[in-house]
Amino acid sequence: MLVLSRRVGESVVIGDDVTVTVLEVRGDVVRIGIDAPRSVRVNRAELLQQVADANADAASPSADAVASLSSLAQAMRGRTDSASE
Amino acid sequence: MNGMQVTEEIPVIELVHPLPGFPEDRRFALVRLDEDGAIFGFQSLDHAAPQFVVVPPHAFFPDYAPEVSDSVAAELGLTGAADALVLLLVRAGSSLADTTVNLRAPLVVNTATRRATQVILDDTDLPLAAPLGD
Repeated sequence: MLVLSRRVGESVVIGDDVTVTVLEVRGDVVRIGIDAPRSVRVNRAELLQQVADANADAASPSADAVASLSSLAQAMRGRTDSASE
Repeated sequence: MNGMQVTEEIPVIELVHPLPGFPEDRRFALVRLDEDGAIFGFQSLDHAAPQFVVVPPHAFFPDYAPEVSDSVAAELGLTGAADALVLLLVRAGSSLADTTVNLRAPLVVNTATRRATQVILDDTDLPLAAPLGD
């Protein structure tokens, strides 16, 4: 890992078009600003990991579970259709 | 929006970014799992796994209206809400009571181009695992 020291107001440029700027340091909290093209997705690492974990949990359910879900979904749909008429 | 009619026109969906945790899978088939179009399989076409179960939110969460950022809309080429199909990833539990859906990170599909991505919403109140049958 590349390690750099920066002061408040100073930046790091990553590649051609991503700039990360240190905006504020208060105690153990560092606020950073990220200037990047909108095709570059920026996420908090722990949230991205939570989504990856949720996806892993959701992947490839058993055939029994899918069958149960199908009947529930049909029941719910019937309820919604009658409510919206 | 009637999810069944829309998705019948979408045999193959291309993810513009892979699902977090599944970097090797870009192409998915969306297949109906019931007669009414309330529940779908979302099956990788690049590999034998993963497959997911997804549901349109309307029947389960009538008030769910995720706000998709301009950058996501641009990336998917969405020009309006009418082009967008939202699908929730389902985690099937051992029982229906234990089954949850991910409201924080829905799939958003451009029904015209079949391009899709899993959007991580900014709204921190949305759970990653909301009970489906509450």
